[in-house]
Amino acid sequence: MPQSSGSKKPGTDQPDVSGPTPKSQRTKMANKSSDDGDKKNLVNKLKDLEISVPIVYGNIAFWLGKKASEYQSHKWTVYVRGASNEDISVVVKRVVFQLHSSFNNPTRIIDSPPFELSESGWGEFEIVITLHFHNDVCEKPVHLYHHLKLYPEDDSGPMSVKKPVVVESYDEIVLTEPSEGFLARVHNNPAVVVPRLPLGFPLPPPVPLEDAEKKKRGDTKDHSLSQWFTNFSEADELLKLAAARQQVQAHIARLRRQLNLVDGQPQQLKPVPDI
Amino acid sequence: MDAKDILQGLPKNHSAIAYLQNEKKSRPPKESQRKPDGISREVYALTGGLAPPLVASVDVNQFKRRTQTENEKVTWQWLPFTNSARKDNLQLYHWVRVVNGVPPTGDYSFAKYNKHVDVVKYTDEEYEKHLTDPMWTKEETDKLFDLCELFDLRFIVIADKFPSSRTVEELKARYYNVTRTILIARAPSPGDVAGHPLVKEQYNILHEVERKRSLSMVLSHTKHQERKDAEVLAEAKKILETRKAAKDPDALELPSMPDAIPEGEDKAAVVVDSASPTPNNHLMTGPVAPHVSEIASTVASLRSMRVYLRTYGLEQMVQAASSSAGLRTIKRVEQTLQDLGVNLKPRVPTKAVCAEHLELRKEILTLLNLQKQLQYKEAEGSSYRDASYTETPGTPPKRSQRADQDRTFVPDSFSFGGERGVKRDQKRKAPAARLSEAPSSPAQSKRPRKFKLDG
Repeated sequence: MPQSSGSKKPGTDQPDVSGPTPKSQRTKMANKSSDDGDKKNLVNKLKDLEISVPIVYGNIAFWLGKKASEYQSHKWTVYVRGASNEDISVVVKRVVFQLHSSFNNPTRIIDSPPFELSESGWGEFEIVITLHFHNDVCEKPVHLYHHLKLYPEDDSGPMSVKKPVVVESYDEIVLTEPSEGFLARVHNNPAVVVPRLPLGFPLPPPVPLEDAEKKKRGDTKDHSLSQWFTNFSEADELLKLAAARQQVQAHIARLRRQLNLVDGQPQQLKPVPDI
Repeated sequence: MDAKDILQGLPKNHSAIAYLQNEKKSRPPKESQRKPDGISREVYALTGGLAPPLVASVDVNQFKRRTQTENEKVTWQWLPFTNSARKDNLQLYHWVRVVNGVPPTGDYSFAKYNKHVDVVKYTDEEYEKHLTDPMWTKEETDKLFDLCELFDLRFIVIADKFPSSRTVEELKARYYNVTRTILIARAPSPGDVAGHPLVKEQYNILHEVERKRSLSMVLSHTKHQERKDAEVLAEAKKILETRKAAKDPDALELPSMPDAIPEGEDKAAVVVDSASPTPNNHLMTGPVAPHVSEIASTVASLRSMRVYLRTYGLEQMVQAASSSAGLRTIKRVEQTLQDLGVNLKPRVPTKAVCAEHLELRKEILTLLNLQKQLQYKEAEGSSYRDASYTETPGTPPKRSQRADQDRTFVPDSFSFGGERGVKRDQKRKAPAARLSEAPSSPAQSKRPRKFKLDG
């Protein structure tokens, strides 16, 4: 593993030349010292691989009702979780929440899952959430921006102590050109989406014991707030998009017919590839 | 001198106010060690807690002084006063803040705002000697100076009250000319008044007239014209950028692509773009084939990032795919997405969703382009028919057929790109209006078609 992460460095140092240029390949081969054809092929295939980690970030805020004071009207929790509540700590090493400067120690560092932070206050502000990754994943951090929301929208009724305000966003961390070691570590982890691996990639046997133990610690499936978590359905979104595309395509077809009619001859305009 | 001052003057046991004040004091301000005194919590929060210029500009001592004076006995009394700006010694009353029973002395505080302009007075002799002007009679000039004195040089009012019709500029020019001439004539030597503003800064009537004309032109710009201007500017900026990019291929973030392809394409785009903004050319610059190089380079640069967020990737791809489309077209694509009930930014941006979203946007671009082409063809056809002048027997069926087409491509559930949306400007309504009129009145069908051209 250290070997392969070392071989990644040329790419990270000069991101501009990290395309499949001969130079970076040579570096890789030199480091690997086993430059047979198969290996080279594999490296190329790995370059095209794209691993994604579906995450959800946001906040849940409870109004304190009678206990609310001027400066502490809400108790809120801001968090980053796996989209289906898997443990994302296989990829994420540390999460830094940058709070408003009026808080004591506004920079809060969370080094272990669940990556969340609870506070109380009265004001809404933007929280910068910085995700740091394990060394074999990526050296660069990723920033998320979440606007802390405490007060419900006007149309959703008055503030209530029982029903919290929940605002969550779905996103995916996309990791390109993963290192072999990382790939081997996460290829069957439920928190990570790995596309079909290239043939001939030597996969280590899964390690169920350690996995199970880790899960117990890091996932958010039994989270105390999990009843408020939003369910993000990809299928719904795809369905909606498919319907919209169908509608648009039907109109395109109709317009083409009309154009032909106006022309009075077969269409000789630009060929449009899609449909 | 606000309501709080007045209330402080009242007896302390006065019911609710005292209670309110006490409660306010009893509440410990939690953030007091962080936020400076005298600034409300909300204002402090707006500054982001940084040491903002706002704090420096608000004199904290001002608030302290107020608390120091609390041991003074402040009352408000209804007292008479005289206004030195009045000549009639009228006696009026007002409320005055009285500290420790001593009423304030000195002039009425608003008297200083009574300003007068010293308008030059000329004698008949002086007029004969220096001020004769073929455009102005003595009576008119006298009247002008009377009004200047009466209205303190408020030329808009003077022009309104002036008996003969003179523009504001003419009045100003005459007044300043006369005043300057008198000033110079009365001075012992011209050098003594050379520094006087009236002599140094001469009133330039031509410049003033031109300035006001340009100003009114800018102000009377319609929204439509403004939009067009903005579009032309945006287009120009895009062309400049493409040219720049074509000039130094090193700037392209595309190491793995052969340089010839993007360069050639960009150049072609520049040529077409800059050719002319007529609808004819617009068709050709249409976004049917989004820059392949743009998309490829975006993919490459995303990959080289090693890590990025899916939403960021989608944003970049959307930008690349619509890089060849104009600002208005992009807006129309987004309008269409909304009409279709699709979020501009997917709620669950997985890889598949983002790919579909991109495809949908591309298809909408294609659709809008086809719409444009159809409109163009129709306009072309109609102008051809107009040229042939006589209504041939073949035309009526063709027209009614076109009416049919229009109806078919105005979708039932939504309108594409808002082009036929009701809320757009008048011109856009024309095609819809035509629908009902087309079959009955052939003459009217020409006008709306022309409107469609600039759509």
